[in-house]
Amino acid sequence: MEHDEVNEELAEQRLEKALGYDRASLLKRIAVGGAAVSLPAFLAAQDALAAPARPEAGGGGNYPSHPKWKFAFINHVTTNPFFVPTQYGAQDACALVNCTYSWSGSENAILSQQLSAFNAAVAAHAAGIAVTVTAQGPFEKPINNAIRHGIPVVAYNADGGRTGAHTRMAYIGQALYDSGFAMGQRIAGLVSKGDVALFIATPGALNIQPRIDGAIAAIKASGKGINPKSVTTGPQVPAELNAIDAYYLAHKSKLKGMFAVDAGSTQGVGQVIAKYSAKIPGGGFDLLTPTLQSIQAGHLKFTIDQQPYLQGFYPVIQLFLYKLSGGLMFPSDTNTGLLFVTKANVKPYLTTKSRYEGSSSKQKYPVS
Amino acid sequence: MAVAEATTRDGGASFGWRLLRWFVRRREASVLIIAVGLFVYFWIANSAFVDRADIKNMTEYGAPIALIAAGEVMLLICGEIDLSLGQLYAFGPIIMYLTSNSSGEAVPGATVAGLGLPIWVGVIFALLACAGIGLATGVITTVFRVPSFITTLGMLFFLNGLNLRLLSGEQIVLPFSQTFQNILGGYGAPNGPFPFYLNSEVYWALFLILLVQFILSYTRWGLHTVATGGNLIGAAESGVNVRKVKIGNFVLAATLAGFAGMMDSERINSIQPLQGGTDIMFLAVAGAVIGGTSLMGGSGTVIGGLLGVSVLVILRTGFNILGVNAYNFDLITGVAIVGAMVLNVQIQRLKNIGKLQ
Repeated sequence: MEHDEVNEELAEQRLEKALGYDRASLLKRIAVGGAAVSLPAFLAAQDALAAPARPEAGGGGNYPSHPKWKFAFINHVTTNPFFVPTQYGAQDACALVNCTYSWSGSENAILSQQLSAFNAAVAAHAAGIAVTVTAQGPFEKPINNAIRHGIPVVAYNADGGRTGAHTRMAYIGQALYDSGFAMGQRIAGLVSKGDVALFIATPGALNIQPRIDGAIAAIKASGKGINPKSVTTGPQVPAELNAIDAYYLAHKSKLKGMFAVDAGSTQGVGQVIAKYSAKIPGGGFDLLTPTLQSIQAGHLKFTIDQQPYLQGFYPVIQLFLYKLSGGLMFPSDTNTGLLFVTKANVKPYLTTKSRYEGSSSKQKYPVS
Repeated sequence: MAVAEATTRDGGASFGWRLLRWFVRRREASVLIIAVGLFVYFWIANSAFVDRADIKNMTEYGAPIALIAAGEVMLLICGEIDLSLGQLYAFGPIIMYLTSNSSGEAVPGATVAGLGLPIWVGVIFALLACAGIGLATGVITTVFRVPSFITTLGMLFFLNGLNLRLLSGEQIVLPFSQTFQNILGGYGAPNGPFPFYLNSEVYWALFLILLVQFILSYTRWGLHTVATGGNLIGAAESGVNVRKVKIGNFVLAATLAGFAGMMDSERINSIQPLQGGTDIMFLAVAGAVIGGTSLMGGSGTVIGGLLGVSVLVILRTGFNILGVNAYNFDLITGVAIVGAMVLNVQIQRLKNIGKLQ
């Protein structure tokens, strides 16, 4: 018994020597927490050990030394493949300016979970918060509260409606309504008249609803006899595919085009058009690989790239500059782009594996 | 000899010793130990965990889940389960909204226009509607003898579709007055009027959970619920109306879930057709089971369910405070649920051995 204790202590001392105090204290905490909680502690320890744990780290680049700020990204669909490049963007920006970030929120767009993660970040005194404001009302007070506590907050990817949440400091992402409007103009160029389906995963969700509003406005403005119908598909990709499939089968005699305003539905549109060799135009948003393949194969006419990498990159840079300048560099609205990807320019998207599109985790230059 | 020893020990026991023995005999003791252990762990890991704002955050997040778990515990004890409670959690506030919203301002394209009645009528209508769903589930399960797992699985999809239809998939920003929101669970100011600055939602949930525990422990209804789940035939033969007991508990669970949804919609200031869903239902079932309620029926406590939910909420918030990456989140939650359950069962086993001596 005594022997074991001595051995344990020796081992601990050796660890302390080899790895520094932090690891040892973390290991002690693991022992306190018991089996059930040792895994999070271990993972947290991994995170902590990945970077030097000194409170005052080098500044990164040309910047003076500053605390290693931790920025919290609060997302509505944390495990959605769309946001993989966003996380790479945040990672790379953090490496540039010597900060860290955390990635949490809700997996299935459950608002109370996302709010709870937001409030936890405020309680943990995050250096700054980037949040997807997918609903207008609920975020106002929490964001105000964070800003009152001196925590800068920017919205990314979704901005709580076309006019934008009044409380967040800036929005970094696609100009959603404008992108929808541009899609509507494109649709008016592809379809002369008749019924056109506009698929949307979750109507009212403020990262996609403004797009459909914009598209309908542009279609109406075109003055053509196009009749846009918005159709709900749901948040899960397989179910979205089924919904689109069923809608197509039920309406194919009158349908003159199928378009979508979210990543999953766009993928579904391409797959359904391919399945039935439908002779109608299709298109939508984002760069899921099946979507890109559909464009290459000619099943989809276009998809719109909103550069998710930048939606992780710029928030970190903006929050960092705000902290570093003591608030002088106030975050500013940043449009991450509106680029039509068509058969003419889809090739590099498919052949290149890069962190910028989320198809590879490797850092390499040149990309191809 | 063992008996004699125990008697002498009891006889000469100090107050502290007796308190300890009473505590250890409690079914909830093991899960309470786990909850406290986790709490202390996260406290050590990051002091922000016990920040007043975070305590408030945790209680707000846990209150509706614990309330749903309370209903689920009653159902599990009488040998049934309801998988549709997460959808009822979304259904309640939708009915409340549609009843009280004036017809002119109904959701664009919604199936049902608002009735424009006072908000309190909306609350009552919503509770009645949820109770009605519970009644339907109960009748289908007991009279048509469809296993509740299937009945409520069907109800889950049906209600999800209904919720989407009723609001046309739209999310609603609450039009209700701040006073009403504050009373039912509203966000309130950072320093609200209630003790410890917690939301009214937390007190509603605590009050109702204690009430359901009281019903379970001290009323004939509670006794019959345990008897029905513990020994269905025996209970029926000794004159318990088992069908009535089961239907009643379906109604109770559905109503509580609907009320939990109404409270939470006031807090998050939004009504959404896809709010809650299976996520919140599984958290409630997991909380009930971690809290010592048997999936086989016949035993369990509502307080245990509350503690079980607390374990899950502490874990989730703790991860958020530590900034654990969302990819690791489910990984750890899974391990933690099973780990907590293993600990729970083992502590229970040690307790039983201790009692035998």
